[in-house]
Amino acid sequence: MSAARRIAHLDMDAYYASVELLRRPELRGLPLVIGGGRGLARLADYSGRGVITTATYEARAFGLRSGMSLARAAALCPQAVLLPADFDEYRRVSRLFKAAVARIAPQIEDRGIDEIFIELSAHGGDEREAARSIKAAVREATGLSCSIGVAPNKLLAKIASELDKPDGLTMIEEGDLAPRIWPLPANRINGIGPKAGEKLAALGIRSIGELAAADRALLMRRFGAGTGAWLHDAAHGRDERALVTEREPKSISRETTFERDLHPRRDREALSAIFTRLCEKLAEDLRRKGYRGRSVGIKLRYDNFQTLTRDRTLESHTDDARAIRRAAGECLRRAPLERRLRLLGVRVGSLAAAGEAADLFG
Amino acid sequence: MVLVKAKRDELLGPLSAVSGIIERRHTLPILSNVLIDRGAKALSFLATDIEIQITSGTPLEQSGEAHAVTVGARKLVDILRALPDGAEVTLQQQDKRMLVKAGKSRFSLQTLPAEDFPRLSKPAGEVTRFSLEQKTLRRLLGLVQYAMAQQDIRYYLNGLLMLVEDRQLKLVATDGHRLAFASMALEVDLPRQEVIVPRKTVIELSKLLADTEDEVRIELSATQAALSFGSVELVSKLVDGKFPDYTRVIPTQHKNTLTLDREVLRQALLRAAILSNEKFRGVRWVLSDGSLKIVSSNAEQEEAQEELEVTYSGDSLDIGFNVNYLLDVLNNVPGRSVECSFGDSSSSALVTYPSEQNFKYVVMPMRI
Repeated sequence: MSAARRIAHLDMDAYYASVELLRRPELRGLPLVIGGGRGLARLADYSGRGVITTATYEARAFGLRSGMSLARAAALCPQAVLLPADFDEYRRVSRLFKAAVARIAPQIEDRGIDEIFIELSAHGGDEREAARSIKAAVREATGLSCSIGVAPNKLLAKIASELDKPDGLTMIEEGDLAPRIWPLPANRINGIGPKAGEKLAALGIRSIGELAAADRALLMRRFGAGTGAWLHDAAHGRDERALVTEREPKSISRETTFERDLHPRRDREALSAIFTRLCEKLAEDLRRKGYRGRSVGIKLRYDNFQTLTRDRTLESHTDDARAIRRAAGECLRRAPLERRLRLLGVRVGSLAAAGEAADLFG
Repeated sequence: MVLVKAKRDELLGPLSAVSGIIERRHTLPILSNVLIDRGAKALSFLATDIEIQITSGTPLEQSGEAHAVTVGARKLVDILRALPDGAEVTLQQQDKRMLVKAGKSRFSLQTLPAEDFPRLSKPAGEVTRFSLEQKTLRRLLGLVQYAMAQQDIRYYLNGLLMLVEDRQLKLVATDGHRLAFASMALEVDLPRQEVIVPRKTVIELSKLLADTEDEVRIELSATQAALSFGSVELVSKLVDGKFPDYTRVIPTQHKNTLTLDREVLRQALLRAAILSNEKFRGVRWVLSDGSLKIVSSNAEQEEAQEELEVTYSGDSLDIGFNVNYLLDVLNNVPGRSVECSFGDSSSSALVTYPSEQNFKYVVMPMRI
């Protein structure tokens, strides 16, 4: 029996900022951005180098966007309120909304802290009703709104969830491709980033419709056979990817950009403390997610933005902060340390699910 | 047209037997219905989820015209349950509706045509047939079914291996971390047959089999299984896949052996489990001369320790297990004592019962 596939993409609206507003309702209605490192502040008073992780819709009205540097944001909207990110809280609320959805539709692909794909094929015919009850359940569990797109596949569902934000519900059928998807800019397709966008623009392709009308062979020549074919398929709304309901991470990492560039020798103490803290946080992440890793790597970004990584493999899997710190320290000694550092990151890879019984047939 | 007039319980029994497999939400609306088939001398109910089909009937005294129709199963069950015990119920078709009448209660249900109802065919081609007592099959399933995988991507583990060979019926279930094996002698010589029965079928079957000596007739083909017992006939598709070679993972050479009182061990594990990590459920077995310590600790570094005096003179061992896997076997397999044998701390442990010679349970250790 091959019933039509119906996949929903659920995206929480202005997620971090919305979670903050739950706790600080007095900030409602003000332009609010999440980012930076310290307490509540006016954006105008911010002098660091952080970026916006989320902006409320009020802040977006001033042109503020996630990913924008806070310095630039302060120039555009100095009166905006700035709050530091509280990832522990965002993760807690994330678990709440995912559990609420799972009670209605258990097959879920986790796409991160604020978005999921949901299998709705079994709700044949009444996915709109299912999506409505999911929205209601999310609101009841968290007090937050989300936007849902329902479509025959993941690609279109992801595009659809963006069409009516915030608090939207958009249904896309096969026949909606030309009237509703084709007029959209090509970069609405998840996977077409700035570079591919520029390359397409150079070919005179700006909308998804223009991409669909483009010569497949030409796309395959310009972008390589795989990417070219994918671009063309995507523009035609073709996407057969299954939901990945169990995702095994390849590595888990933590990184931080310093308030000011630090010199490996002159700021040795400060750097060492930050380094140790990163490893402790990372070990906590590993334990919380239930993994141990056998490879430890570091990432350095120098003041000239040059980035470098070093890795080493351990004797056995670990989730111990000291073991990670030791290995990361050894990696650091193999890196040139003449320039000032801007960013430091630690990564643990070659993961094994900790504490899982060994495999009988392995 | 009156389909049947019968006591509530005569209808509710067979209807409940078949309606357990109906999925709440389905892409095909008719699959939430039950097919009511009025034959000359019997009334039967039939439900399906496309993978499994169950029929159960009740004999009728009055003969009547053959007729079949489908109605929403859950609603019909709810209505019959809500009627008083011993109520006389009439099911009657009127145009495209089915009337349920009892005393002064009347219900009018929408119907869908019986011709549209999907049916599974019985096993065909080369079919292996044998029968055993219902309570024997029920007991055998109980020994192994808890070890089946659930929604594993290795889809062939989401079921039970049913193997007929060497005049024996062998059942094997595993989720890849532990494995349960049970066998029994068959009275007849049969050609070798190996099938994987889907998890849902196994669970439904365990619910429906009664604790009686009445027989259950089993038919296995390469793609379908049929089991008939009492008034029930169950047809199920089989899992199309290759079950892993279980004989390879049942250890035969473990020398470090100890015998424990099942209940004493079970209670000790239940207590230790309280402070085991909620997600990984690990407990350590620390074995030395004459002593077994069961130790657990959780993410908050709280610790539990249970010490049992045992007759043990094997190697000193420190080996971790998922406590759920140990409790599963102790909870599901009765018997006064259990025998546990070990290789080293990285090899599987074997759990057997002196009172169940044809049962084996293998569990892999975990690093703690």
